[in-house]
Amino acid sequence: MDHSSLAGRIFRGVALALVLVFFMFPIVWIFLMSFQSNEQILRIPPHILFEPTLTNYQALISGQLRTTAGNLEISFMRNLVNSFVLSSAAVIMALLLGVPAAYAFARFKFRLGESIAFTLLSFRFAPPLLVLLPLSLYYQQLGLSDTYFGIVWVYQLIALPLILWIVRGYFEDISPDIEHAYRLAGHTWREAFTRIAVPLAGPGIAAAGLLSFIFCWNNFVFALILASADKQPVTVGALAFVTASGIQYGQIAAAIVLSVTPTLLLALYAQRYLVEGLSLGAVKG
Amino acid sequence: MARLDINAVGKSFGPVRCADGLSFAVEPGEIVAVFGPSGSGKTMLLRMIAGMYEPDEGDILVGGQSIVGAPPERRGVGMAFQNFALFPHMTARNNIASGLRARAGNEDVASRVKSISKLLKIEHVLGHMPRELSNGQKQRTALARALIGNPDVLLLDDPLRNVDAKLRYEMRLELPSLLRRSSAAVLYVTQDYREAMAIADRIAVLVGGRLVQLARPEEVYARPASVAVARLFGDPSINLAEVEPQVGQGGLSADVAGTRVRLDSGDRTGAQGPCWLGVRPDDLVVTRNAGDDAIPARVVAITPMHERAVLLLRFADGSEWLAALAPDAPVASADDDVFVRFAPESALLFDRATGLRVGQPDRRQAA
Amino acid sequence: MTMAQLSETNTLPRRKPRPRGRMLPYILSLPALLVCIAILVPFVTAAVYSLQRYRLNLPYLRGFIWADNYIDFLTDPAFWNTLRISLIYTALTVVLELLLGLGIALLLRRPTRFHNAVSIALLLPLMTAPAIAALMWKLMTNPGFGILSYLVSLFGVHDFKWASDPSTALFTVVLVDVWVYTPFIMILLLAGLRSLPRQPFEAAALDGVPASFVFFRITLPMLAPYIITASLFRLLDSIQQFDIIYAMTQGGPGDRLMVFQVQAYLEFFQYTNVGRSAALLMILWLITNILSNIFIKNWLRLRERAHGHA
Repeated sequence: MDHSSLAGRIFRGVALALVLVFFMFPIVWIFLMSFQSNEQILRIPPHILFEPTLTNYQALISGQLRTTAGNLEISFMRNLVNSFVLSSAAVIMALLLGVPAAYAFARFKFRLGESIAFTLLSFRFAPPLLVLLPLSLYYQQLGLSDTYFGIVWVYQLIALPLILWIVRGYFEDISPDIEHAYRLAGHTWREAFTRIAVPLAGPGIAAAGLLSFIFCWNNFVFALILASADKQPVTVGALAFVTASGIQYGQIAAAIVLSVTPTLLLALYAQRYLVEGLSLGAVKG
Repeated sequence: MARLDINAVGKSFGPVRCADGLSFAVEPGEIVAVFGPSGSGKTMLLRMIAGMYEPDEGDILVGGQSIVGAPPERRGVGMAFQNFALFPHMTARNNIASGLRARAGNEDVASRVKSISKLLKIEHVLGHMPRELSNGQKQRTALARALIGNPDVLLLDDPLRNVDAKLRYEMRLELPSLLRRSSAAVLYVTQDYREAMAIADRIAVLVGGRLVQLARPEEVYARPASVAVARLFGDPSINLAEVEPQVGQGGLSADVAGTRVRLDSGDRTGAQGPCWLGVRPDDLVVTRNAGDDAIPARVVAITPMHERAVLLLRFADGSEWLAALAPDAPVASADDDVFVRFAPESALLFDRATGLRVGQPDRRQAA
Repeated sequence: MTMAQLSETNTLPRRKPRPRGRMLPYILSLPALLVCIAILVPFVTAAVYSLQRYRLNLPYLRGFIWADNYIDFLTDPAFWNTLRISLIYTALTVVLELLLGLGIALLLRRPTRFHNAVSIALLLPLMTAPAIAALMWKLMTNPGFGILSYLVSLFGVHDFKWASDPSTALFTVVLVDVWVYTPFIMILLLAGLRSLPRQPFEAAALDGVPASFVFFRITLPMLAPYIITASLFRLLDSIQQFDIIYAMTQGGPGDRLMVFQVQAYLEFFQYTNVGRSAALLMILWLITNILSNIFIKNWLRLRERAHGHA
């Protein structure tokens, strides 16, 4: 299978280099840009070497953005906090709801369970707006629009199928005999669940939680429709930010860097489980 | 101290009947081996007693009280699993102690874990995690965990299946005294008839979810209830021939591969019509001399097995039997023409239609 | 333990297992069921809306017009444009990502340290929020200072307008989609490739079978379930693409990038035509539903293999 000829090896080396450049360049470039002043960015041709500056980040953190049209107050940090709050709350809720359900689906073969599991799965692939647009009208009637709880609740549509299907696979991989043995030793099913099943599925639960966090964080359309400015996460906030007139490009780049850094770090940390998570447990990495 | 009663227990999975009218009792301190081919319902019976499945019909009683419907943790049942089912995230010590913590207080957990692990010779690995244990140590840990709670009923699901031959041999010697110490009613599932004979007080033979024989080990061996039981017990397995025995002068006789052979001279009134004749390979005598009741045969092959020499013999009609000879017996070599005979009382006869053994019990004891 | 503790359960020779034990799975899955309802209720509502004349700004006109929203689409060039653009976008992205992803997976097939590091690095685009990724590319394709605009100018292409020019807008968003999602295909196929049994390849190598034959007759067929699952994943997401296109151009320039969800979003919020928006989404749902049924079958097969049971 492996090309061992010199030409083959050169070809593979060049191809890999091109691949790396294409996929890494935008991230590196934006990262560099976030440390440049507007003048440095607008220079043509662009310079690789420059005097780095932290002013873009300082402006974002202070919320005081100097623009051509004067000072602008934009609370980008608030978006960042929102992203943390919404994603964390959604993941915690999804774990509390999803782990027991995943256990039930794995251990008891019952028709309702299968129906729920497959409904959640098939709506993972339905157009999100199909559910979101009517839901936004319901939310207005229920007073849930533009509330943290309302957004966290719809984030369940992202997190719950993920947690159900991944954690279910992990529970199924635990031999039921291990739990039987624990029960025969005099423990109730609840003890067997909390002391045997959950610890043994621990890595899967952690991975599903991390992935759900990433996907909630990266979500755009849910908050675009359901949240107003002060509840918006960074994905929506950053877009509003760009369209605000006269903002410096370096500040946009800095905002992008701040928005993607948490998920990229989590992804690197959880990379061992990403394959499994991305395929909803169908492919093991 | 409580007796285990299994009362007309039945269980089906779809069209498969894995327990059909099972009834028997196990006394406290008694070891009953549940023996049968795979798929005969042995493990399902254990799982119904342990509470992982409920029987469709019948009842299971411990100490006279029904346990059907009770959750597993309240049945007073301990179990050792074939795959050990140790808790992978706990040390051997905590695995063993898990049974005690739930039942008793903390008072003497340490000392009881210590004494049981001393008994099972695993004191030195108590601090290890299951993945660091050898299969034998895992097995002993699982046994200790099942024993430590002093359950009324102890279920052992083929516990020696996954350990190596040497350890299996040792455990066969150790287990009976170990199990009797607990005074529990013990059900011991196995697929190995030697293990069943070595360990059990009585053997319950299950075939297709039915109890076909329940008797002391030597009795099951010497007087199998049916041709199926006879074939399950013994290695190499029993030789069978289709015969039609007739009562003539000198008693019962039949044509075996063209030779008239005397069967038992005792009362064999039931043994008429189409039968299976069964003779254990151990009961065959191979000589070079012709004579009465000696069936001519040719040695096809010789192979050593369980410290014996096993001869594959072919009769004139093409049928093949096995003979197991002591290693010091004068052994023929391949392609030799020999004669085979067996004592009339070692012949077993089974009705060909029902498979049940026919004729009166004979006097023989197990080899 | 003494049997006295069991005395409460000993009166009948046989009894049904306790109801609590029977109810347990239902109790445990109750919250998940609620989420299901929270999905299904709006879904049915959307289906009903799609049969109505329903404009948020004209509430008095609301009423059932049954299939009229759908029938109107037949003669509506905007609808056909949406369908066409969505299909072209989907076809382009899935084919490009599949070819590129397969190629990269083959390059990284041997599990060396370096290859593993590369495959982890390639996850970064995938873990970037697509809306943010669109912003990154917007900065890089800015006609004034964008690095990519500068780079193409080195090749003599001046005034390349990327997403703001109707003739290159599709190319630009497809490029962003490829940047974000190729790693998805790559990582699934890489896991698939590395899980393939070795014997067929070793046998082929011993027999001196040519590499192209090995690839088309052994590798591809054995990899097929992974390829199908990964492509269907992408197909289903791609035909519903919203984030990248909305963040990049909001469907423009003109109606050049009006894919289903962007069009539906604008129908709803800009033209407040709920009925029409819902009908559009129902059509999209129909398409995805057919695809996802095929998808789930394949996916289940892979899942069984991964977890080793039915």
